[in-house]
Amino acid sequence: MNALLHRIGQAVTALLYVFLLAPLVFVVLVSFNGGPVPSFPPTDLSLHWYLAALRSENFMNGLVTSAWLALAATLVAAPVGVCAAFGIARGRWRGRAALEAFFLSPLIVPGIVIGIAVLVALAAIDFGNAPVRLLIGHTLIVLPYTVRTVLASLARMDPALEEAGAVFGASRAQVLFHITLPQLKGSILAGAILSFILSFDDVSVSLFLSSAQTSTLPIAIMSYMQYNFDPSIAAISAMLIVATLAGALMVERFFGLKRILGS
Amino acid sequence: MRPPVPTLRGSKPMLSRSMSARTDSLHGASLAAPTDGLTLRPPIRIPAAVWLLLPACALLVLGMLVPVGQVLWMSLNPPEPGVMTPGTALTLKNYSRFFASDFYVGVLFKTLWLSALATLITAVLGMLLALSVWRASPRWRGLMIVAILAPLLVSIVARTYGWIVVLGDKGALNTLLVGAGLLAEPVKIMYTPAAVLIGLVHVFLPFMVLSLLGSLDRIDPSLGEAANSLGASRLATFRHVLLPLTVPGLASGSIIVFSLSMSSYVTPALMGGSRSGVLTTFIYQQFSVTMNWQFGASLVAILLGATLLVLCAMLSWANWSTRHWSAAK
Repeated sequence: MNALLHRIGQAVTALLYVFLLAPLVFVVLVSFNGGPVPSFPPTDLSLHWYLAALRSENFMNGLVTSAWLALAATLVAAPVGVCAAFGIARGRWRGRAALEAFFLSPLIVPGIVIGIAVLVALAAIDFGNAPVRLLIGHTLIVLPYTVRTVLASLARMDPALEEAGAVFGASRAQVLFHITLPQLKGSILAGAILSFILSFDDVSVSLFLSSAQTSTLPIAIMSYMQYNFDPSIAAISAMLIVATLAGALMVERFFGLKRILGS
Repeated sequence: MRPPVPTLRGSKPMLSRSMSARTDSLHGASLAAPTDGLTLRPPIRIPAAVWLLLPACALLVLGMLVPVGQVLWMSLNPPEPGVMTPGTALTLKNYSRFFASDFYVGVLFKTLWLSALATLITAVLGMLLALSVWRASPRWRGLMIVAILAPLLVSIVARTYGWIVVLGDKGALNTLLVGAGLLAEPVKIMYTPAAVLIGLVHVFLPFMVLSLLGSLDRIDPSLGEAANSLGASRLATFRHVLLPLTVPGLASGSIIVFSLSMSSYVTPALMGGSRSGVLTTFIYQQFSVTMNWQFGASLVAILLGATLLVLCAMLSWANWSTRHWSAAK
């Protein structure tokens, strides 16, 4: 009885891994289909839909917007987040834990609420510039990841190294640039890659902040998907999957995925 | 941590007068820099800390805190489709419209039910996955973690499209099952609440596994071995040793999954049929189609309020069960 239960548990667990990966695998498989519908098994192999996706003005405009947006949000959030992490890690006052929770709070507030809030606040002052609107929303949602990775690194850092530098007469700036920051390089980079990926993939915030002229790639794919089913979606999605997994592997190398995503 | 050292105003000659005045007024003596000459680790002086924290605080206060307040305020303004600025007139009309309508109350309960079900399924499946990672040899562990976490990073749009490919009437699953002779004809899964549930579980399972692993990793593996060698069955070991110790992880995982499910838009919008609307799909409608922002804002407030209520209930249950278990020991 016990052994049987154990076997069943093992089988279910194996199936769960299939469940987790199946949709990703099938998107890639279907993307090589030459036919007009995403049928499985693929009837004939072709890169036809990749070409169609790359030629689609809709997708390509979205890709350019998303890439610039993700880059800008990362570049704004990284210094702001690094500074905030330093302020928390090196300060010694009572409200530190509360402030840290505040900096991580965009993780808890639902994305669509952040999107709507930014939309409403900017509409109230009659500001309708979609790229800036998107940048504000995206910076908000990626900030916690930078703060968290840098905070974790600062907490693990050996204070003896900085002290040694100070003892041997290094100025504060020298300690910062030659001892502290080099040690944080990995975590800042990991936070930046993760920020880029999350901003690039975001739907819920962009949903309310995009405009007809400025639409991100996921929003463009989503609105295309509501009325079309052709495998060009599979092709563009497959490219996204491969690019994201490459980014994820980089983060894993620099920092460890579990540490950065876990609580 | 070093206890805060009271600062003597006269002992900070390095600070300009205006700077120290500014920070004193902000934090008083509680935000004090160590003044003893023995501190070798470069301490950050008060103004530096304030300047470091200021950009992030400004971003969060102006970009999120105030705007969310504006949304909540707007939910109390009389509904005027097309008006996008918060007004001064206050009314509960939006809320009474919601709670007087069987349709909207039904949507609220459907959203709650779907999220609760997704949380429950995710908890059970997540526990199986987390245990498999916890028991795995270090060689397999890394690979398993990547397999579980990688989907989390892939765009939700791509993942949802994947499910459409798998679950569609002519999708992979139906083709395989019919081809194998297990089904006489394709079953309709896509565009039903079941599809939404599958999508939600898939999207949020990694969060549950992460949070459970956080708890499991703190358990000494020899505890399980001890229980086993003392004659406890695997099931008994799980029930009486592992499960009580993972309650914190289970609670935080459930909180994450429930609140993410409540506020998910993409999965219900793309995988649910036209009739399986949830709160978020109606919020989107009010803000982008009907342009009744005041009513939309009240839907946002109701979404947040309902989520918070359930989360409070979950937290108090988690607290109770932790105390209950430790009292039983």
